[in-house]
Amino acid sequence: MSMREHIRSVRAAVGLVAVIGMLAAAGCSSSSTTSSAPKSTSGGTPSASAVSTSQCGTKPGVAATGTPIPLGAIATNQPGTSFTDIPNMAAAYFACVNANGGINGHPIKLYIVTEQTNPAQIAADAKQLVQTDHVVGIVGNTSILECTIDHTYWEKLGYFVVDSGIAPECYSTSNSAAVNMGPRYSSDGAVQYALAQHVSKIVFDQSNVPGTGYIAAGPAALANNAHVPITQLTENVPISDANSVAIKEVDDAGPNGAVVLNFTPPEALIILQAAQKLGLEDRVKLWGCSTPCNTDFLATSLGPKWNHKLFVNAELTPPDTTSTQSMKLYEAILKQYGSAVSGGIGSFSQMGFAEAEIMTHALESVTGAYTVASVNAAIKAVQGFNTGMVCQGWTYGSYPMHIPNNMDYTVTPDNGKMVTAQGCTLISAVDPQIKAYRSVAGTAAMAP
Amino acid sequence: MPSWQDFEPFIVSGLALGGVYALSGVGMVVLYQATGVVYLAFGAVGAMGALIAWSLINAHAPGWVGWLVCVAFAALVTLAYGMVFGPALAKRDPLVKAVATLGLTLVLFGLMDLLWTTSGGQSRAITLPTDNGGFMIGQIQVTWTQVISLALGIVITVVTVVFLRLTKLGTAMRAMANDREITATLGVPVRRVEAAAWLGCGILAGLAGVLLADLVALDATTLTFLVISSLAAALIARLRSITITFAAAIVIGLVHDLLTPIQSLSNYRDATPFVLAAIALLALSSGGGQVLTRSREEA
Amino acid sequence: MAASGGSAAADTEVPATRARQRPTLPRPGTGTLVRAAVIAALLLFVLFALPQLMSLYYVDAMTQVAVWSMAALGLGVLVGRVGLVSLGQVAVLAIGAWVAARLLFATAQPYPLVLLEAGLITMLLGTLIGLPALRLRGLYLALITLMLAGALTVVLATTNFPNGGPGFLGYNGSQVHIPPIRRPSIAASDPAYFRYAVVVAVLMFLLVFAHIRTRPGRAWAAVRQSEPAALAAGINTWFYKLWAFALASFITGVAGGVLAGANHYLYSLNFPTYYSITLLAVVLMGGAYSLWGAVIAGLLWALLPSLLQNWGVSADWLTILFGVGVLQVLTTAPRGLADQVPKDLARLGRAARGLARKRAPSESSAG
Repeated sequence: MSMREHIRSVRAAVGLVAVIGMLAAAGCSSSSTTSSAPKSTSGGTPSASAVSTSQCGTKPGVAATGTPIPLGAIATNQPGTSFTDIPNMAAAYFACVNANGGINGHPIKLYIVTEQTNPAQIAADAKQLVQTDHVVGIVGNTSILECTIDHTYWEKLGYFVVDSGIAPECYSTSNSAAVNMGPRYSSDGAVQYALAQHVSKIVFDQSNVPGTGYIAAGPAALANNAHVPITQLTENVPISDANSVAIKEVDDAGPNGAVVLNFTPPEALIILQAAQKLGLEDRVKLWGCSTPCNTDFLATSLGPKWNHKLFVNAELTPPDTTSTQSMKLYEAILKQYGSAVSGGIGSFSQMGFAEAEIMTHALESVTGAYTVASVNAAIKAVQGFNTGMVCQGWTYGSYPMHIPNNMDYTVTPDNGKMVTAQGCTLISAVDPQIKAYRSVAGTAAMAP
Repeated sequence: MPSWQDFEPFIVSGLALGGVYALSGVGMVVLYQATGVVYLAFGAVGAMGALIAWSLINAHAPGWVGWLVCVAFAALVTLAYGMVFGPALAKRDPLVKAVATLGLTLVLFGLMDLLWTTSGGQSRAITLPTDNGGFMIGQIQVTWTQVISLALGIVITVVTVVFLRLTKLGTAMRAMANDREITATLGVPVRRVEAAAWLGCGILAGLAGVLLADLVALDATTLTFLVISSLAAALIARLRSITITFAAAIVIGLVHDLLTPIQSLSNYRDATPFVLAAIALLALSSGGGQVLTRSREEA
Repeated sequence: MAASGGSAAADTEVPATRARQRPTLPRPGTGTLVRAAVIAALLLFVLFALPQLMSLYYVDAMTQVAVWSMAALGLGVLVGRVGLVSLGQVAVLAIGAWVAARLLFATAQPYPLVLLEAGLITMLLGTLIGLPALRLRGLYLALITLMLAGALTVVLATTNFPNGGPGFLGYNGSQVHIPPIRRPSIAASDPAYFRYAVVVAVLMFLLVFAHIRTRPGRAWAAVRQSEPAALAAGINTWFYKLWAFALASFITGVAGGVLAGANHYLYSLNFPTYYSITLLAVVLMGGAYSLWGAVIAGLLWALLPSLLQNWGVSADWLTILFGVGVLQVLTTAPRGLADQVPKDLARLGRAARGLARKRAPSESSAG
């Protein structure tokens, strides 16, 4: 064999070995995904708040040592968009439960998988959780695409997911129920508030991510019912030219109109700050925003010019002005176990708390073995549960669609903090999806 | 069709946007003139510098310290890259040198997301004292920051043109862009001239980083890949003329914003830089754009 | 698959002494047969054994490897064989996926036909773009492809991908249940679709292999060596460059079609402009010239992230790795890993042999 052929065959052999090596690594690679088991930050000593974290479990101070109950969560985490705070907070809650008796002595183990909005990856993640990690329930999913991609898979296997929804399928399918309202119904709430202030025109601007048509249909229905003209706009994100966006919105709305935004907090902030720099914030009657704007961080960044000028729909109970037991427990758990929750007090961690609460409540009602069937039957049976984080009691139930949180607050910035502008208000049934849900769910959908 | 009234405010914002593109575009052409490298990492070094500045300001350092560190960081990284990879790739054609800077871009991009992780509800922002205050043009308020950015673009254009044409160092840079070997044999201290060019470009990248972080957004992805839109302006000028780059950037900014009130085109306006560059390169090039450094042309 | 090909002109490693060696009659070559047998065995293993051994998580990842290997193959033809850099191949992939999705929703055509149509339409578009673009040289060609990719990304963000809706664009934004893109009836499950994707990928590789071994391959090698010399030799360089564009577009279009079925749902945010930059990085790292390089590129792009995710390592390290890889490849190993690793090993082998000879001086030197 000549030298050249020798080299070629060596090349081929090496290539072969490299390929097989990688495949072997894949095949033999361990199944464990990042499971979040946050350490208690204060080593068990009770925090200064009036509520002890031991309230989260049934046997205060007794660590759970039985066979773990595996649960799974999928969350988007890519440059610019990160929802990991939500499952991380759920994990913090579960850590608290595990330190205080667990579920009948069994600790909960939450497998958290992150994804970068890649459909193939999201589908694979679901299979990983089921086939490799053998999870018996799904709680804490927060993803731009996951509900769309995986809902048939969950339906086929009988998983009833408790999530924080974004995609349409999180609210329109039988196997997903969210603790939040999602972009469409939250935008409904913001538009509803604007209409109640008797504006003459609505400009609804949202980020151009999947589902804009579905989201826009809600505000459109509300505006048309009130005979108020509505302009629907979308912006490519990340926004590179906020000035033109702000000018366009203000020009279209006019002095007696309202501009309602549906963006993630950073993008909404950029638009509002551009409007302020251009001197446009007083050129419309009011500004509205869906729930993502509901953070103290936004209130601080915006400054006093926006006091009672911007009205944000809040899907969850405002933490700053509430001091119920649940809220205090939330703050205590966040402080003691929530080191992985980077956003601190805010709607993201509130959602994680609520979802974990619901799951714990469901698990505690399971008698016998913790299987996919038994756990998900218990989840479905959750009825009128008071999470302390939303206006209504939370119900799963056996319905073809779920919008269990359909009642909201409106908040407004006031010198760096968000304060309540309007208390719990039902989202209008003029939105056909809300109407459809209330007709199947009956009184469970309404009762606060 | 919207009326003149509707277009008016967009002229102002369009000029501001053009100034944004001009900063990066001019910076890249300057370096290409001197070293034959299209510095595609221009946005990334500026972005990372801005993030470092943000971290310092967040840790209660005074604003000017942060911005100074940003410029210094960008200058240092650019200089280091130029000194390490410049000679290694000096004999390769401009395409290879440009692709190599993409490698630097990816490294910085990954580092930025690692070190400044995305948090759920929060975002970072840089504010400059020139943000508060400005003056009114028509119905629109113009901030001093926007004025500075546009003015800086003009100043840099003028200064660089004068520098390259009239000073000894500038002439040396132009000679090197033409043919590095011959310039070296003529006794020009090639490595020092190159270092000066890289350093100058790095300083520009740092300045652009601070201004863009304020004018656009302090977001790694946005700032890193904003350079693709600025590149359009540089391409319209065939990477040759700094003045045309500046003018092209202004035109791109104006057209982009003026399309905003036109309903049917508004959603596509982000494609303005790319479409204009494509038209300029494809439709207007009759001889097939030749690479500037003819001694290094390969297929 | 041959790790090299084309005429001797492209193989610059040929030492001058070879020309003076005794000419031997060319045998069918045990080397070739061994290589073919190894490749066949590997293929059989991948097609039949692998899906059984891997969890569905990795089967899904390997399907992506098949898709992106094809995309890397297309880019490799341009960059490695002809020396044209395209910074817009992911946009081409998006076009192929768009066409396939539209056809799959609008018609009931069988899958292979849809893939073929997606490839052909993408090829047509690629050729139309190549016609004016190829007037530009080197750097400008690369940058114009970047510009066109950027424009297409903006357009896609507004027109979106077909999702079963009406009209030419086939997009209905208001649906509460979005229908998934169908898969072939014989390959509906994940392991079956993986096999389907591998078969399609193998066909694409064979297509490129056939090109390399025949006239286009020799013409490309000549163009890559020196375009003026090729012109002087009477080769219609513009025609063969356009052919390369067409071939690369066809393969990438077919890859887009396979991607549509793999993902079931297509979103414009999955095809950002800067992916084309990262794709070039992995193609350079894997080796643009070698067909194995395209496979390595696919593994780097689609398998490595899944592995890292399982090991709890952030995907950002991968971005950094790709950046370092580009710099390393361009400065030291222009032909990428597929070329570099065997070279290093061969050098190791020679060093080892030299050492062995030194230890046994009684044996005559090999000379």
